[in-house]
Amino acid sequence: MPAAVKTEKLTKRFGKILAVDEISMTVEVGEIYGLLGPNGAGKTTLVRMLCGLLLPTSGTAFVLDTRMPCPSIKARIGYMPQESALYHDLTVHENLHLFGAIYDIPDHTFKANEEELLDFIQLKDRRDELVGNLSGGMRHRLSLACAMIHRPELLFLDEPTVGIDPELRAAFWNFFSSLRQRGVTILMTTHYMDEASRCTRIGLMRQGRLISEGTPDAVMAQAGVDSIEEAFLKLAAQRGANP
Amino acid sequence: MNARHLAAISRRILQGIRHDKRTMALIGIVPVAWMCVFGLAFSGDLKNIKVTLVNQDQGYSIMGKNLSISAAIVEALRDDVLKIVEMDSADQAVQEVSEGRSRGVIIFPANFTRRALAKLTNPQSTDQASIVVRTDDSNVNIASTIRKRVADSLMEAMSASGYSSPVSADASEPIYAKGARFVDAFVPGVLAFATYLVATLLTLISFVSERTTGTLERLLSTPLTPGEIVGGYGLAFGLISVIQVTILLVVAMAAFNVMIVGDVALAFLIPALLAISGQSLGILLSSAAKRELQAIQFFPLIVIPAFLLSGVFWPVEAIPAWLRPASYLIPTTYAVEALRSVMLRGWGLGKIVLHLIALVAFACFFLAAAVLHLSRGER
Repeated sequence: MPAAVKTEKLTKRFGKILAVDEISMTVEVGEIYGLLGPNGAGKTTLVRMLCGLLLPTSGTAFVLDTRMPCPSIKARIGYMPQESALYHDLTVHENLHLFGAIYDIPDHTFKANEEELLDFIQLKDRRDELVGNLSGGMRHRLSLACAMIHRPELLFLDEPTVGIDPELRAAFWNFFSSLRQRGVTILMTTHYMDEASRCTRIGLMRQGRLISEGTPDAVMAQAGVDSIEEAFLKLAAQRGANP
Repeated sequence: MNARHLAAISRRILQGIRHDKRTMALIGIVPVAWMCVFGLAFSGDLKNIKVTLVNQDQGYSIMGKNLSISAAIVEALRDDVLKIVEMDSADQAVQEVSEGRSRGVIIFPANFTRRALAKLTNPQSTDQASIVVRTDDSNVNIASTIRKRVADSLMEAMSASGYSSPVSADASEPIYAKGARFVDAFVPGVLAFATYLVATLLTLISFVSERTTGTLERLLSTPLTPGEIVGGYGLAFGLISVIQVTILLVVAMAAFNVMIVGDVALAFLIPALLAISGQSLGILLSSAAKRELQAIQFFPLIVIPAFLLSGVFWPVEAIPAWLRPASYLIPTTYAVEALRSVMLRGWGLGKIVLHLIALVAFACFFLAAAVLHLSRGER
């Protein structure tokens, strides 16, 4: 089976800043792949290149077996940006409906998808509320729903669990697991080290480079420690010593 | 270009506006308010200007009758433009102006009628009857109105007394827009200005917000093309301009009985084309603003040239020749001229085709630039 995401020496330079430095990685279909790293490690830039929002400076990226950038692949992926990225002057329903129309979902399919997603994000009774009146957590949930209204095969989630309460975080993770069971591939960024253990595989990023990759257990074993956080600190220190 | 995508973007803009009462007011009420303010307060005619009059003329006795040309002129001067206060002393009258209680002094010297008659009966005579008009020129508009009233009254009084001028100009049959008032010429200007302003400013603000909130990035990660985003905005603001024109024309006809002799359909088409230029310009400008506050700093850049240089208020001919080419770099200039020609001259499509071509060219240029700009993104 072809990989959901495959990059070869993918590099992005903004002027003098090397944001992503020759990253070669593979995400298999059905994985929950976590990109871990501190702020400024290049996670978001990498995701934006994979979504076709940025052109790489060099290297190649294949998404769903198609070389990026490719407009036709956009209908098959979903992207949840870091900011909630919603229209505050529209209602919950109007936001969902907008993305439904953009993804060319037929009306009856949209209705079913909307129903299911509103149930999951627990905003059914807020369907006709303006997004501007919702709390931050509610917007976050709606943002996820907007990225999924067209039932994409591959989801790019940029820090989906930042700034939400532990209860909702747990609900998100249960949802991600159920999506995985349906065969959806998820590539997410996070800087919560404890979330890493719930991913099928993780990639540790620092200063634009992928410093380690594998299952959470394999990454811990490579560093010879028993937590992801320690593994990150140890591997980052080794990298710093031998650049 | 997918019609459903275009419609989705347009619908989202219109829905957003529907949920925001202030924006609705900006679109619907503000242009009408402008029109009313200018239409009512600025009819262009000055009234009740306070002037002081000193008539020292004794007239001229002829066959037992006292003939006074000055009295005839004063009679002609009395209407609602000037509010005349008579005084005996010229010094005192000048004092009134110096103190700011009056806008000007009109003085008929002692032998005014005698000198005038002497010159009339003997054109070689060196006698010259002259009215002294001293105005407060700190307000040029008022001063020139006083001078014009005096000159007009002079002609009027002379011809009433049977001393008509050997030459005259008959301007009673204008070729276009007979009986047009200031407001008639102003309404086409407001139509163009309001639609352009609303399209440019609202797009600018909402696009800056698309950038800052991340919705633009989200849109660009979907199958939506930059052309569909720009086209959707264009469609929405084209529609908004049609709504604005409808409101403005209804109020203009109901409240001011404004003159519309041409094809009303053209009065809708012109602002719609202008709005499409405006919204594309808004998208282009939005790239230079990082936040909404920075976008507000562009307002004078858009408002002032459109208002001052495009003939909304003053004709383009009133702009110094060296600055006039700038007028023709602004799309509103073509829209104002075309709208005035349609509404007041009754010109049809054939006669304003060049203006329409200019407006379409502006729209295409700005649309293409906006699409290109979005396609390039941060790459």
